[in-house]
Amino acid sequence: MRTVFIFISILLFSATAFASGDVEQGKPVYEKYCRQCHGKDGAGDGPAAQYLNPPPRDFTLGIYKWKTTPFDELSPSDEDFIKMIKGWPAHNTVPGWDGLNGTSMPGWADVLGDNDTKDVIAYLKGLSGLEAPEKPPIDLKVKVAPSKESIARGKKIFGDVCSECHGDEGRGDGRKKLKDDLGARTWPRDLTKPWTFRAGSAPVDIYARLTVGIPGTQMPSFADPQSKKTLSDDERWDVANYVASLDAPYKKPGEGAVIKAVKVDGPLPDSPGAEWDKAAFESFYLVPQIIEGERLFTPTLASVSVKTLFNDDEIAFLIEWDDPTDSVPGDASAVDLSDGEVFKDGAAVEFPSSMGEKPYFGMGSASKPVDIWFWQNDGTVRAIKAKGASIVQDVSNGVSARGMYEKGTRQVVFKGPLKREWREEDAQRFVPVAFALWDGSNGEKGGRHTMTGWNSLVLGGGEGGSPYAWAAGAVVVVFILELLWLRGARRKDK
Amino acid sequence: MRLPKLAQFIIIVGVIYGLLKTPGIFLGKPIPESLIFMYMVLIVATVLLVMTSTDESTEELFRPIRALVEDPKKAFVRNIVFAVTPLIAGYIAYGLASRGGEPPAELRSIHPAPPSRMSAYGRPYDIATLENPLRRTEKEDAELFRSYVAEGAEIYFKNCFFCHGDKLDGRGHYAHGLSPRPLPFKGKDTIAQLSESYVFWRVVKGGPGLPAEGGPANSSMPAWEGKLTEEEVWKVILFLYDFTGNRPREWAREK
Ligand code: HEC
Ligand code: HEC
Ligand code: HEC
Repeated sequence: MRTVFIFISILLFSATAFASGDVEQGKPVYEKYCRQCHGKDGAGDGPAAQYLNPPPRDFTLGIYKWKTTPFDELSPSDEDFIKMIKGWPAHNTVPGWDGLNGTSMPGWADVLGDNDTKDVIAYLKGLSGLEAPEKPPIDLKVKVAPSKESIARGKKIFGDVCSECHGDEGRGDGRKKLKDDLGARTWPRDLTKPWTFRAGSAPVDIYARLTVGIPGTQMPSFADPQSKKTLSDDERWDVANYVASLDAPYKKPGEGAVIKAVKVDGPLPDSPGAEWDKAAFESFYLVPQIIEGERLFTPTLASVSVKTLFNDDEIAFLIEWDDPTDSVPGDASAVDLSDGEVFKDGAAVEFPSSMGEKPYFGMGSASKPVDIWFWQNDGTVRAIKAKGASIVQDVSNGVSARGMYEKGTRQVVFKGPLKREWREEDAQRFVPVAFALWDGSNGEKGGRHTMTGWNSLVLGGGEGGSPYAWAAGAVVVVFILELLWLRGARRKDK
Repeated sequence: MRLPKLAQFIIIVGVIYGLLKTPGIFLGKPIPESLIFMYMVLIVATVLLVMTSTDESTEELFRPIRALVEDPKKAFVRNIVFAVTPLIAGYIAYGLASRGGEPPAELRSIHPAPPSRMSAYGRPYDIATLENPLRRTEKEDAELFRSYVAEGAEIYFKNCFFCHGDKLDGRGHYAHGLSPRPLPFKGKDTIAQLSESYVFWRVVKGGPGLPAEGGPANSSMPAWEGKLTEEEVWKVILFLYDFTGNRPREWAREK
């Protein structure tokens, strides 16, 4: 009997030791991998922190964003901690990234084993004296299926309680300037880009966010009965279903996408509209300019989508992106929303000045210059020849541009002369083209902007007939060949 | 029992196709479709050539197919195959037609030969004999060495991790927007194969300093000459090796 008792207590003891991890062993793990961002003492002030938005979590406060315990329970569950640290492999939305999307916090599963993870969790909890949670995680069983009706109900609720922050269409263009509890600027999520959600974009993940809130930020819990905006359980499911339906897949960049310019007869459109339906959008990730001169470390823009039309003489680009703010310098509401001084929003398209060996994507060089078309939201349009970032010269070559802003989406149409060498009658020719964007409410000006590298533009797509026609043709041809073969075989038999 | 020739053929072609696809699926570095297509045409042609070298082997290869058409007992299977094949052809045709075209594959040499001399910080360097002046502290003064590594870490986490990643695995939070992707320092394929002088050249001159075969037009690797001092570059290099447990390749030992 005694031995059994001892045995059981040893078992129990080792189980709890295993489950709670060892603070002493967690320290070296933290020092090697986490300190550079989260800081020597866990206060979120490592050397990297000043270059990051969202900033690394300050662990001395014990407030965590992506947890599933109820809003009135400070402590995340151990399961939550493991997910925060090891990443969300099931929500792996961007190539090569398995951490919290849209932040610099990577997934650590490839370097930290189960024990290291538990130890480092124990260490983190120690930094704020966090106790084990008293309340269990919220119930995540799906209660309301994403039916048409549910989505319609969700849309109504969204307009009432969410759009002041997330914008009428959910594109993150709210009417409020938001800061987190520590004063860092927060930008409400663009809900049409689920690949930027930190903690998953299925209805159940969104439901969890609405029920728990995002602690430490202004996004509240909608289950809190004290709040003026309380929603019932069913209502939270309805909104979650609606938010999941906002996904705009064309905005998600693909790998190695090629922009297919479509030929039109007659003049090209100089504003957005139905004429553009002939061409399809291709989307590209934006990267902040962290290479040369004045650098931008905390971008607000994540991706850009492009369509192209051309005729015998001209080419036109429709460039579309989501921008949380319409940055009009001097405008009172723009100043209210802006992070610091308001500069102009802008967009640029870049090509090599001549085909042949590609110039450097960052504004060319003396021997291989680039041509740039540049637009700003006060109506400025420039055509530039650049031989490196500091050697730029305005040229006049008949480029025009027009832009508009509506509910968080900006569209700009550029139109300019088509270069002869971009078109070859029989062979496909790939023209390098790159893009840059400026969000003036995020301090973006001059060299501080987001951009893409060289992408490929090919002229003359859409002439080869519809893919459906090709598919039908292939089906018919193969079937006829089969019949002929069968008949041949029958005849031989006889 | 020996595998039928037709099965052999399908397995060989399938395995090679799988191998060509693996870098894309598991490492996120796909081989361009156009190249895969070229390889596959060559491979199918070669395998067919080998398998049809004698009349018997040709007969053996095609027997199952002929039997399918001619043998009345196989009519049921045949009908299924005959119904499915045109659909597959249609699917492939749809894929090809809607893809339009792919940009020409850009093959770049990841580690092109460095220039023998370069000039930076207002003076010439001979890359063949250049050494990291701080490296000797590793043996001579462990404490000083650790402090250099710590400073190197700080430089890395203010300038490099956006692209090369906090885990030094080439997967920083902006890496997915860059092509070519930033290189990892972890693992045995990059800095473990390089001398510190080579790494110094790459950090100081960046993408624009690459020779033509390295693809200087596309590389987003900044040239750090204007932003970091010579000593800072040597410190960050110490950190790259120390964090990953890699050792620099030494020219001297090779000779
Ligand atoms: C490159 C910088 C960086 C490094 C290195 C880093 N983190 Fe983070 N971490 C962040 C950022 C940024 C956030 C904030 C994300 C957000 O606000 O959504 C964060 C958030 C967190 C959170 C909170 C998540 C939540 O739900 O609130 C935890 C826990 C965490 N990190 C643990 C770790 C651990 C453990 C390590 C080391 C193994 C580590 N981090 C290393 C940048 C980093
Ligand atoms: C007071 C402003 C505010 C309101 C109201 C608000 N949100 Fe948010 N929301 C935010 C902010 C700020 C963030 C980003 C927080 C962060 O990442 O630190 C956010 C993030 C989100 C996310 C992203 C979660 C993730 O995993 O990345 C979703 C989804 C979301 N909100 C949905 C909603 C819905 C649905 C409503 C209405 C029921 C709503 N929000 C109301 C401010 C708000
Ligand atoms: C804007 C993104 C970016 C930043 C910031 C950046 N790099 Fe790079 N780096 C790259 C890319 C992309 C490559 C691969 C292409 C190439 O070789 O030029 C690369 C390649 C390298 C290489 C060559 C490795 C090899 O195996 O040949 C070294 C060394 C290097 N980087 C070091 C650094 C250091 C040190 C820093 C910080 C001081 C840094 N990088 C900052 C993008 C970046």
